[in-house]
Amino acid sequence: MKILWKILRSNVSITQFSGFFIANLIGLTIVLAGLRFKEDLTPIFNQGDSFLKDDYMVVSKRVTALNTLAISNSGFSTAELEDLEQQPFVNQVGKFEAARYRVSGGLKMDGTDLYFQTYMFFESVPDNFIDIPLDDWNYDSQTNEIPIIIPRAYLNLYNFGFAESRSMPKLSEGMIKLLRLDIYISGNGKKKEYKGKIVGFSNRLNTILVPQSFMTQANTIYGSNKTEEPVRLILEVNNASDERITRYLETKKYETDGEKTNDGKLSYFMRIVINIVLAVGILICILSFFILVLSIYLLLQKNAEKLRTLRLIGYSDLNVCTFYILVAISLNLIASILSISFVVWLRQIYLPVFTEIMPKTDFPGVYMTIVYALMMFLVVSIIDISIIYRKISKLI
Amino acid sequence: MQQISLDQTIPSIFIKDKRGLTSEIWLNDLSFFRGKTYLIEAASGMGKSSLCSFIYGIRSDYGGSITFDNKDIRDIDKSHWNNIRRNSLSLLFQGLSLFDELTGMENVMLKNRLTDHKTKEQIEEMFSLLCISDKLNQRAGLMSFGQRQRVALIRALCQPFDFLLLDEPVSHLDNENIKVFSRLIEDEVRDQNAGLIVTSIGKHPEITYDKTLRL
Repeated sequence: MKILWKILRSNVSITQFSGFFIANLIGLTIVLAGLRFKEDLTPIFNQGDSFLKDDYMVVSKRVTALNTLAISNSGFSTAELEDLEQQPFVNQVGKFEAARYRVSGGLKMDGTDLYFQTYMFFESVPDNFIDIPLDDWNYDSQTNEIPIIIPRAYLNLYNFGFAESRSMPKLSEGMIKLLRLDIYISGNGKKKEYKGKIVGFSNRLNTILVPQSFMTQANTIYGSNKTEEPVRLILEVNNASDERITRYLETKKYETDGEKTNDGKLSYFMRIVINIVLAVGILICILSFFILVLSIYLLLQKNAEKLRTLRLIGYSDLNVCTFYILVAISLNLIASILSISFVVWLRQIYLPVFTEIMPKTDFPGVYMTIVYALMMFLVVSIIDISIIYRKISKLI
Repeated sequence: MQQISLDQTIPSIFIKDKRGLTSEIWLNDLSFFRGKTYLIEAASGMGKSSLCSFIYGIRSDYGGSITFDNKDIRDIDKSHWNNIRRNSLSLLFQGLSLFDELTGMENVMLKNRLTDHKTKEQIEEMFSLLCISDKLNQRAGLMSFGQRQRVALIRALCQPFDFLLLDEPVSHLDNENIKVFSRLIEDEVRDQNAGLIVTSIGKHPEITYDKTLRL
C-alpha cells in the first residue's frame, strides 16, 4: 500500500486541499449552526400560554374620550353579547369578571429585610377557557391559597428591568411558582389575608387571573352589589385567522388584544434570516465541493501517465481510486467533526442567554446536529466517490 | 491460456499501402502456443512494439483479429484484462514503464504485492544475479537504461504467466549480462511451462527458439 500511495500522492497540492478543507469547514459549520439555532429557537417561538386554549381572542371596546367622560359606556350590553354569540365563527363567549374590592399583594424577599407591597387587581374568566387541571385551578379554603396567573411581562419587567438595575437575583418561572405571595383583600368593611400561588404565566392576557369561583365568592363578600357590564370578553373561535372575525370587529369598532401577531412577525423574520444563512452555508459547501472536484481532476490529470502505467501492470480502477477516495473522505470527516465541535462550542455561548429568557424550555440535544452532519457527510462522500471513480475509469 | 492466434492481423497504418509487405506475421494466420519459444526479428519500424501492444490490449488500431484461445481480445472487458495482466500475460515494455520516483525494489514490489508470486529473498537474488544489488534502494530515475532494463525484467517475472512477451529486452546489455538474463528467463518460462515471445532488432536473449519469424 505504501509504495502505491507514494506514486499516487505525487503532485498532491497542499494549497488546493487546504482550500477545500477550509471552505468545507466554514460551509458545514454555517449550515449546522443555522440548523441548530433554528431548532433551539423553535420552542421559544412556538411557546404559547400553557394554560390557555389555542384559538381564543380577547375583545374590548375602543377607549375614547367619551368613555373617560362617562358619556359612552365601554362595557358590553346584553344585546351586543348575544349578537356576538350568534356569529358563526364564535364557539363560546366568556365574560371577564373584575374584582369589586381592593387587593394588595406583598412579598418578602428571603434573607433580606426587603418587603415589596403593591396594590393589585384581579380578574377572572370562566374556567373552561383555562387549560390547567381543575385541582390546581381552585381556591382552597383550608390553606387560603389562591391560584394566580400573571402576565409573563411582569416577570420580564422584574428580571430585566428591576433586578438588573438593582443587582438583585433574577427569578426563573420555576422559582416564582414556589413563592407564596401575601394577598390582602378588603371591602365592605371586611378584611382578610390570603396566600397567592402563581400557577402560570401568560404572554397574551394583560391581566391577573384568579379562578372564577373565587372571584364570585369574593365579590359577594367584599364587593359592592351592583353588577357591571363586562368590559372585556374572551372568545373561543374556530379559526383565529378567519377574516370574517376581522371584518366583524372592524364594523363593531371592537379591539382585540393579546394577539400573537407580534411574535408571529418576529419569528417569521427570524426564520427568513436563518434560511438565508442556511442557503449561504449550503452555497459555500457546494463551492468547496467544486474546489475538491477541480483539485482532484487536476491531480488525476497530472498523474494520468502514472495511472495508465499502474493499469498496465495489473492495477484495477478500484486499487487506484482508493487513495483519492480516502483522501477526500478523510478531509470531509475531519471537517464534519470540527464543525460539530464548533457548533457545540457556539451553543454553549448562546444557550445560557436563551435559558435566561425561557427557563423552562427543554432545548433539544446536540444529537440532531450530529445526525445532520452525518447525513451531509454521507451525501458529499457518495458524490465524491462516484466522481473520482468515474474520472479514473475514464482516464485509464 | 493455451494459444494466442493472429488472423490476418495488420496495423491500421499498413492497411493503405500493403505493397512490398513481406511479413511472416502481418496478414498471416498463425498461432503462438504455450510451452513454445518464439523469436520475432525485424528491422526498425516494422511494428514490433505495436504487435506487443496489440496482444497486451493497450492498442487496438489493427485490422484482422487477435484471439486468446479463440476469444477475440476486442471483446475482453476491463476487469478481465486486469486479471489477464496479473495471471496470464506478462510484458516487458520496450519503454520499460518504471516509476522514476520509486527505488528498484519498490518498482518490483509494486507488481509483486498484486500477485504475491515471489518472496523478497527471491527478488533480491535476481537483483544480485543481474549485478544490480546496489540498485535495490536507488531511485529508478537515477539508473542507466541497461540497469532499468534489468529491473523491468525482474518486475515482469514477478507474476504467474502463460505467455511472456519481451519487447527488445537486451538492447542495452553487455554479453555477460545477456547470458545471465537469458538463463533467468529460460528457467522461469520452463518452471511456468509458459510460451515466450521475444522481439529483437539485433541482440536477443541466448535461448533455443522453437521458431524464428521475420516481421
